[in-house]
Amino acid sequence: MEHFNIFIKAVFIENMIFAYFLGMCSYLAISKTVKSAVGLGLAVTFVLTISVPVCYLLEKYVLKAGALQWLSDDYKSVDLSFLSFIMFIATIASIVQLVEMIVEKFAPALYTSLGIFLPLIAVNCSILGGALFMQEREYASLGEATVFALGSGVGWFLAIVALAAIREKLRYSNVPAPLRGLGITFILTGLMAIAFMSFMGISI
Amino acid sequence: MDKDSNKATFIFSSFMVVVIAILLSVTAISLAPYQEKNVRVEKMKNILSSVSIPTETSETEAAFNQYISKQIVLNNKGEQITGNVTAFDIDLKKELDKAKTGKTNEQLFPLFICTKDGKSFYIIPIRGKGLWGPIWGFISLESDKNTVYGVSFGHKSETPGLGAEIETEKFQQQFVGKKIFDDSGNFVSVTVIKGGAKPDDTHGVDAVSGATITSKGVSEMIKRTVNNYIPYFKKQGVVASTN
Amino acid sequence: MSKETIAVPAKPKKEKEPLFSPKNKRLLFDPLNDNNPITVQVLGICSALAVTVKMKPSIVMALAVMVVCAFSNVIISFIRNIIPNRIRIIVQLTVVAAMVIIVDQFLKAFVFDVSKQLSVFVGLIITNCIIMGRLEAFAMSNKPWPSFLDGMGNGFGYGLILVIVSMIRELFGSGELMGFRVIPESIYKMGYFNNSLVIMPPMALIIVGILIWIQRSRNKKLIESK
Repeated sequence: MEHFNIFIKAVFIENMIFAYFLGMCSYLAISKTVKSAVGLGLAVTFVLTISVPVCYLLEKYVLKAGALQWLSDDYKSVDLSFLSFIMFIATIASIVQLVEMIVEKFAPALYTSLGIFLPLIAVNCSILGGALFMQEREYASLGEATVFALGSGVGWFLAIVALAAIREKLRYSNVPAPLRGLGITFILTGLMAIAFMSFMGISI
Repeated sequence: MDKDSNKATFIFSSFMVVVIAILLSVTAISLAPYQEKNVRVEKMKNILSSVSIPTETSETEAAFNQYISKQIVLNNKGEQITGNVTAFDIDLKKELDKAKTGKTNEQLFPLFICTKDGKSFYIIPIRGKGLWGPIWGFISLESDKNTVYGVSFGHKSETPGLGAEIETEKFQQQFVGKKIFDDSGNFVSVTVIKGGAKPDDTHGVDAVSGATITSKGVSEMIKRTVNNYIPYFKKQGVVASTN
Repeated sequence: MSKETIAVPAKPKKEKEPLFSPKNKRLLFDPLNDNNPITVQVLGICSALAVTVKMKPSIVMALAVMVVCAFSNVIISFIRNIIPNRIRIIVQLTVVAAMVIIVDQFLKAFVFDVSKQLSVFVGLIITNCIIMGRLEAFAMSNKPWPSFLDGMGNGFGYGLILVIVSMIRELFGSGELMGFRVIPESIYKMGYFNNSLVIMPPMALIIVGILIWIQRSRNKKLIESK
């Protein structure tokens, strides 16, 4: 039940885009058509679900204060948490590379649809954000961290696909010239975020 | 040498790793004392603010040593534990988490006793969950171990303007003078009441409007954490008085 | 959105130019308006908006981004000729990450209360697209001093938007500026309320949208074609 709660929270209430604005750069740039939005959304979900649990293990067995105790009692007082940023980003970057190679080898169809988006993801704030939130919120188990990552990814997917759908329709409407493109997209996202705010406080 | 050859790439990356590792370790180690001090001072500040002693950061440590006359550690039966743990260094989160795994008999609870103007006050650290993340604080009781003398709350990520209002003086001031025991000596805690507490309610305060979950969290937090200290207070003899 | 990138010759002239030549001045001041990283280049919004509830954290955030942006630009520019092409991106990431860790450690040590408010968003400077974008687009092909100015300029343009947004949000959301009460008590007594919606995340987006609107209606060349 706790897992389900975390999932729902990550998708709707603490949505990466609407509550924390993470991954906005690619969110704004790639949301012009639904097709590419689906591709990027899937890729983000995929990478998040893999990299956050890996960062969780890294955090638990290497970085946290006293985490190296499993090696030997001598390392009990070692605290490497100051290295977490660099370790997380390195992990994410290498996982993205790895995922790219694996997907290319074993699922060429998926690769052609995700292909161009994968390299972009290494610097997508939502992935590093997911890892840092995982660290800050101190999830109790690997399962919880994975569910949180999956939920965040699904939430991101939902947000970008919804925005892309609206933007496709928007082409036929008469937006004031200075607001065209970027401006209206910001305001749209804001309105969508207000709608998502109504999920706030839900607890299962 | 060609900078794109394997050899150059390898040399470059190993060199970079070494340089950055040294740079970061030096920074982290040289700044660590300041950071640890900040965390300690902040905790002291919060403890003192629950007994209405506001301090400047530079004076906090001295004031803490002056006012906090005793720190004791209790177990879950309310017995005082002597040993090499100091109350200040106990991580309340870890102790509360032990309850989840059923290790209640290993739990340790810190209690601070403050002497101010010849009177003593009991300061209890509390911790719970708000809407977005953890909330925590300190609650101080007068020497009757029943009347709330003051509280200070903190939070990690409550909504500014709503849940975050629990940090304000206005909200915290309401707790002063409330009782945690009812007339017959049962522990009832102080509850945050949505829609406003009745003026004569000695166990209730007004909730922050619009922040239902955070307000509930505050009630929960006080009730759950203070409950651990009840055996100790009962042993010490609570003045289960009427007003 | 790269139609407005600054025209900088790939090979700077050989003769010595003054430190603040017109070209260098443009590097510093262009990002403030015509080439603003947030409202024109749409970069780095990710970490920008979540910290704009109050002015103080946004100013610290803006300074942090400026420092990281300027110095990583300089470092990359110094070593641009020996970075192996294949590992270019990861080298850039590592330099930025190291800078961010140093900044974070300093914040934790000297402005502890602000660093608590910024929480994970300091770490997210690493993935701030402005920084990576400037490294790749500018520092990799320019000398250290112009790179430094470019980093400062972009950090400043970014910070400007941050501070404007946070000013609006703090003023209307809590009636304060920099933590000092601006809207007097008497107005509250007349029935004025702080607008708590302004503090909520969605309003940050809408405010940026409106800023873009204002900027583009004054600066017609930025308007996007349909």
